[in-house]
This record gives sequence, structure tokens and C-alpha cells, in this order.
Amino acid sequence: MATFPIEVMTPEGAAFKGEVEMISTRTAIGSLGIKANHQPIMTMLEHSELRLHMEGGEVERYAQGEGYLQMSDNEALLLVEEAIPATELDVDDLRAKLGEAESRLEGAEAESAAEERAKKDVARYTLYLAIAES
Amino acid sequence: MASTRDTANRIGSVKNIQKITSAMQMVAAARLRKAEQRIEALRPYADTIERMTRQAAAAAGDVPQLPILNEHDEVNNVGLLLIAGDRGLAGSFNSQIIRAGVRAREETLDGGQDVTLYAVGRRIDSSLNFRNMAPKNAYTGFTDRPAFADARDIAGELMANYIDGKVDQVDLIYNSYVSPLTQVVTRQRVLPLQHAEILEGGLGEPEIEAAKGMVEGQVPVGEKVAPLWIYEPGPEELLKRLIPDFVEITVYRALLESAASEMGAKMTAMRSASDNAGEMIQNLTLEMNRQRQAAITQEILEVVGGAEGV
Repeated sequence: MATFPIEVMTPEGAAFKGEVEMISTRTAIGSLGIKANHQPIMTMLEHSELRLHMEGGEVERYAQGEGYLQMSDNEALLLVEEAIPATELDVDDLRAKLGEAESRLEGAEAESAAEERAKKDVARYTLYLAIAES
Repeated sequence: MASTRDTANRIGSVKNIQKITSAMQMVAAARLRKAEQRIEALRPYADTIERMTRQAAAAAGDVPQLPILNEHDEVNNVGLLLIAGDRGLAGSFNSQIIRAGVRAREETLDGGQDVTLYAVGRRIDSSLNFRNMAPKNAYTGFTDRPAFADARDIAGELMANYIDGKVDQVDLIYNSYVSPLTQVVTRQRVLPLQHAEILEGGLGEPEIEAAKGMVEGQVPVGEKVAPLWIYEPGPEELLKRLIPDFVEITVYRALLESAASEMGAKMTAMRSASDNAGEMIQNLTLEMNRQRQAAITQEILEVVGGAEGV
């Protein structure tokens, strides 16, 4: 199957650069799969499990934060807050962060910005834990 | 008067101090390199966010009205975010931020406006508390290695306070990084966000080269065409999330520059501490030699005096 170049950028540096057959991630609207020669697209990504399907059937998995995906001229560009390889996730650290976010959520005022943020953190770390354990 | 042994002990302890300061200098130099790399790593990300924003704004026709873009009619409360370090031993790195922050606060108060302070770094937090100017919030524990998540937390609170009308303007005060030897105290406006800053360089959707069969029979292969873009969700929705990213990136860049400046200042401070220790060791060694010589002369005089007496 045809491959195309993709670059995964985070504010802390490039997380991945290379050729893939397919990208699979999740947007604000729903799951998204991108293959070679996709129509130019710009979209907003939710935190999710990013799967890069390599040539030969291998799949690289990442815990991916919020961000954007742009595909133009058969080149994909992912801008995300973070992209941690599934193999490098630290289960204990994630559990601690999840616990901290949960206690923040309990203590937060209803409908405040702090509550909103705690909810997001709980959802993110729950998902990252699931990725680490699968 | 100090004995030769006392002086020798002092030389020993100064040598130990010198070992510590030169080790700290080397650690700071290594961390400075990493901090510089992180500033470099951010650049392509920030540039791409800018490019995407311009493109989305072009597709939307204009930048939507967002609360963080609206200037407040009256500026009654000025937010100041002072960024420095968690630790000392870095020359004037922390103190010059405190000084600049306190001066900015006084000027603003003299102008009849209130001030809300935010602190980054334990040093800033404790000095402000000591001066009875407790910050509204203090962020500590990461100044030597800030992560994007830290910047997101800070920017999130600043934006929430701005939108809720608790502050009407927010400025950052930090050491911007010029070179390992030079840090410049900088004051930078982050809120309200300026339209011009986002749309600098004009609007535009990128063109691509026409490929065979892409636009049937209309455009020669290889010629530039404006493709039909999919925006999911619409460009307005994308802008609502892209524009706050500017605030996060601005704060993150300030944190990174401050971290690099801290390591530069620490390196310089530790180098001059090691130099001073070296000078002190030299002086003390001379002193010790003089004392030893004086003791020997004294003993010879005593022997000669004793011989004459026999």
C-alpha cells in the first residue's frame, strides 16, 4: 500500500517523522483514518490513542494529547500537546496523576473553569492508563 | 595571630568550596545546552500553529470575536506574572525580576490601577510574601525544566481570570535569553491578545501542485492550484481553539527563556565564585608561606641566641 510522509510535532520537539500507510486518531467529531492522497484537511484532535500503521503491518501506538492535524500535498502534519510512545508510559505515574486530578475534581466548584480542567485531566489520564495497560 | 595550621585549614576549606562551585558551573553549562535545545524545539511548532491560524482565519473570512481578543473598556486591574527561579546561587537572576516587578507594581498603583501578582518560582513567591505582596497564585517546582503542561496551567488561569473580568490586562516580566552571559529583563503583554500578532504576514490557504487526474483537464500537471480544503469542524471552531494556543505558547516560550537565562546566570555566577576562590587560595598560600618563614626565622634566632648564651 502507498505510504506518505508524516511529522508529529509537540512543543517539546518532534515525536515522530517518517513514512506511514495510515494514521488513525480521533477528532472532535469522531474517529479519523488518513491514508495516502487524502484530500487536504485541517482538523482538531481530541486526546486519544494515535496509531501509525507502518509499511509491513506494524503499528506504533502513542498516547496523544489535544492538537491539530493537517494533510496537504500528500504530507501529514500532526501538532499535538504531547505524544508519548505507549511503551514509554509509566503506569504508576499515571495512576498518581489520575488520583490527583480526581481529588481536584471533587474539590472544584460546580461549573468553574477549574472543574472543567479537572474533568479533562481525569478523562486524559484514564485514557492514557488504558493505553498503557492494553 | 592565626597559626600556619589555621591557614592551612582555611586553604583546605576554600579548595572544597571551589570544587563545589566548579561542579555547579559544569552542571549549569550542561543544563543550559538542554534549555537552548528546548527553545529551538518549540520554534517549528509555534510557526506551524501560526500558519494554521492564518489559514483558518482566511477560510473563516475573519477572526471571530473571542473574549481574550476583546479589550476591556477600562483597565482597572493589571495582572503581572513574574517569572524567575526556584533556587538561588544565580547572581542577580531572581532579584532583578523582583525589582522590576515591584517597580512595575508601584507605577501601576500610582496610576490609580490595582495590581494582581502571579509568581513563577519559589524565590519570587517567598520574596513577594516577605514584602506583604502575596501573589494570587504561585507556580513552583519546574523552573529549571518547564514542561508545556506547566505553561498550559498558567495560561489557563490567566485567560480564565481575564474572561471573568478579574484582570483587564496581563503582562509577563521575565529574563529573556540573549546569550549565556546576557539576560534582559523583559515586559511583554499577553492579554488582551493582539489581532496583529496572530495575523502577522497576511492570510492565505496554501496552494499545492496539481497532480495528474486531480483536476480533470483544467489545470496542467505541476501548476499551482488552490485545493478544496476540508475543515472539521468549521474554521471558526478551529480558531476558537487555535487562538488560546498563542497565549500558551507565549507563556511557554517565556518559561523556556527564563530557564535558559537561569542556567546562564548560574554558570556565570559559579564561574566567578570559582575564580574568587582561586584568588583566595593564592593569597592564603602566600600568607601561609610568610607565616612559616617567620616561624623558621624565629627558631633560628632562638638557636643563635641560645648558642651565644653558652
